[in-house]
Amino acid sequence: MKYVLPTLGAVAAVALFAFSSTHQTAIAVERPSYDETFQQLELFADVLARVRSDYVVDVNDGELIEDAINGMLQSLDPHSSYVNPDDFRDLQVSTSGEYGGLGMEVTTEEGFVKVIAPIDDTPAKRAGVKAGDYITEIEGESILGVSLTDAVKRMRGKPGEPITITIAREDEDQMEITIVREVIKRQVVRYEVKDGMGYIRISQFNEKADTGLADAVAGLKKEMSGDIPGIILDLRGNPGGLLDQSIKVSSAFLDGGEVVSTRGRTATDTERYNGERGELAKGIPLVVLIDGASASASEIVAGAVQDRGRGLVVGMTSFGKGSVQSVIPLRGGRDGALRLTTQRYYTPSGRSIQGTGVDPDIFVSAVPDDGKDRKIRSEADLPNTIPNEDAEENSEETEEAVAEITIDYPPEGFEIEDDYQLQKAIEILKNGTYPNLLANAG
Amino acid sequence: MSGSFITYLKRSTAVMVLAAGFALWSPTLSAKPQPEEDKEALEKLEIFADIFTRVREQYVEEVTDKELIEAALNGALESLDPHSGYSPPAEFKEQREAVKREYGGLGIEVTSEADLVKVNHAIEDGPAYAAGIRGGDYITAVEGVKTRGKSLDDAVEGMRGLAGDPITVTVLSPNKAPRDVVVVREVVRGRAVRHRVEQGLGYIFIETFNNTKLTDDLTKALKSIERDLGGNIPGLIIDMRSNRGGLLDQSVSVSGLFMDGGEVLSSRGRTAADTERYHAEPGELYPNIPIVVLVNSGSASAAEIVAGALQDRGRAVVLGRRTFGKGSVQSVIPLLKHGGALRMTTQRYYTPSGKSIQGRGIMPDMLVAVAPDTGEIRKRFREDSLPNSLLNPDDTDYKENHDDILYPPEDWAATKDFQLQKAVEVLKTSKHRTLLTEQSQRYKFP
Repeated sequence: MKYVLPTLGAVAAVALFAFSSTHQTAIAVERPSYDETFQQLELFADVLARVRSDYVVDVNDGELIEDAINGMLQSLDPHSSYVNPDDFRDLQVSTSGEYGGLGMEVTTEEGFVKVIAPIDDTPAKRAGVKAGDYITEIEGESILGVSLTDAVKRMRGKPGEPITITIAREDEDQMEITIVREVIKRQVVRYEVKDGMGYIRISQFNEKADTGLADAVAGLKKEMSGDIPGIILDLRGNPGGLLDQSIKVSSAFLDGGEVVSTRGRTATDTERYNGERGELAKGIPLVVLIDGASASASEIVAGAVQDRGRGLVVGMTSFGKGSVQSVIPLRGGRDGALRLTTQRYYTPSGRSIQGTGVDPDIFVSAVPDDGKDRKIRSEADLPNTIPNEDAEENSEETEEAVAEITIDYPPEGFEIEDDYQLQKAIEILKNGTYPNLLANAG
Repeated sequence: MSGSFITYLKRSTAVMVLAAGFALWSPTLSAKPQPEEDKEALEKLEIFADIFTRVREQYVEEVTDKELIEAALNGALESLDPHSGYSPPAEFKEQREAVKREYGGLGIEVTSEADLVKVNHAIEDGPAYAAGIRGGDYITAVEGVKTRGKSLDDAVEGMRGLAGDPITVTVLSPNKAPRDVVVVREVVRGRAVRHRVEQGLGYIFIETFNNTKLTDDLTKALKSIERDLGGNIPGLIIDMRSNRGGLLDQSVSVSGLFMDGGEVLSSRGRTAADTERYHAEPGELYPNIPIVVLVNSGSASAAEIVAGALQDRGRAVVLGRRTFGKGSVQSVIPLLKHGGALRMTTQRYYTPSGKSIQGRGIMPDMLVAVAPDTGEIRKRFREDSLPNSLLNPDDTDYKENHDDILYPPEDWAATKDFQLQKAVEVLKTSKHRTLLTEQSQRYKFP
């Protein structure tokens, strides 16, 4: 039915009529909860109507309802939210990888957008944009005072479309340059040989993580003439990203088998994700570094490596974001979208990491013990978080476990830049204790 | 029948229920059609119904309709202003009972001594006195929980409860073994008014308007001061600093003591028809006494009504700092069918000259600070510091001008009350008249 009618009053009349005809159908389907639902919806409409007629000032009904939607979703957990149509459009652009950019890191200074650095092998770099340049205009329009987000939004667009920006550089006249936008894929995998060990850092699980990892392993093999004695996979500070990328990255270290399962409200909602057969880094000892800022996809990888006995997890307990959000477009996106927590992650052994995170096999802190109870912000600290299902039966066990944990702290005066956790990881791989530690882990 | 079709039916039914309920409750609609806004509202209702349905079916855990709607109502109402909200049936029932029964105490004044709670004084007609507790006793436990090591505030909080509810306290009297005493809490009326003669002037401190006897007590206090000063009060200081307000009718009757009839305040809703005017009773107790009213940023609601009325009507000089700015009225609207209630801001207070108190407060005629000027700007907590507070429709500047604030000298002792001292000076010099003249030029009362 269509709601192109002059007033709500008229709609109501039609709606009530229509309501009576659908009512019977609904009864047949689901009688018990229906009355309750009806009552609750009526209550909602009641209150809204009162506000509309009696609140001390005029209220925009649309805004009021949107606030109600936000209130409802925020009460569920910190990750469920309503995405309005404008934001949904932006979201689609930024996750589908379809958008084009110029390829520079920017900030604001004195109201202007300032270039921190152009990224290698991007249009901005090729066009001669330099670190420290100011962007004063976009398409001839001054952006003085425009927020950074808005400025970045204006610079983004379809790949292949040109854009003209005005650049101010010290001691030079302003110049206009035209740059053709490209899809900018940020490099998220970095690798190097450290003390004779292969070190691979994944900073985020975007769509380039798996190929980046394959390149890293190949690169390390080449540099170390075919033989990598050990790999350190650094997932510290990695906030997560795409689920399928976490599975692909885990696959590189596992010969098939389960990586993670996601479970919804009912047993039929369970989905199991298996790694591909064939192991990229077969037989190479592995240490995964995590900390309190390793979340979601990072925790899937760490949990799989740990549960499958494939490597040692070293560092501090991870963040504990073990829930999956589905982005559900409403009316094909015209009404925006609903980001809703629909599932939880489980490691191969069946542990839920929601709220509790992954505990490392060996606790190593990045900073010296200052005597204070170092509380790292984790999912369980977020207001109104979804509880871990296993929490009740685990609680006693956890308390005992906490008492038993020994944390390896760097000595006082240790420089944070020297990376104590990484040094320990290298030590474990080098001093011959790895096989024993691995056998005793779990 | 496919699942998605059922979902569709449920969703569309939800929209209809919402749309119907919404419109049926809006009697103003038919008189004034606003098609554009209605269309938007209806679209948003559809989105709401859509999301509601999906959350019920797809959220990772089972959620009840009740929880969802309650959260939605809170989201909507809290977005209006910090004082509006929804109370579900159980909570509303509790609130009503609490109001009916009132909070009660034991009728003792306590201090902390040697980590223990010591009874300073037991009020003679209070329940603790009746149960044998006397000044000098120690309270070592409340309901079996030891008070040692607890803060005094926590201990006192533990003793408060609903009037009529019994409480067991363990009492230690000098030279006696500890004993358990059961005391039935009573509503103990504290003194709402304190008075004294201050440097030859009358001084009255009103702590709260939450006292039905306030106006009577105030009248008695004035009589007492009059007696102490030999039948003539040369000047009066009414101190309402940090008074958080209370009963509206008390603010009207207290104002009425100092004015001969006329408007004290009006409360106004969205439309002109919602306006209610409150008038003082004719006849004034002490028509010729010059008055200074002391206020600060903690003076709220009923205290602001009194200060605003006395200022607008030219009856008193207001001295101190800009007041809190709580000038809104909440109605509790019972939702009969559901048993819960809606608490909603429906009106705002206006002073006799027609200025809204909400979000702005009362600006003193003379700005006087408590402590010396250290150069740093201290942010004061007022109504407009609350997130999402209801704005004042009058947007003219209402900031305390720093240059206008009179600060105590740097070596002023913290124990001495600079604002009170200035109030005394104003009453004893021609300053009072000057300030009243300036005031009459600022606030033109029709």
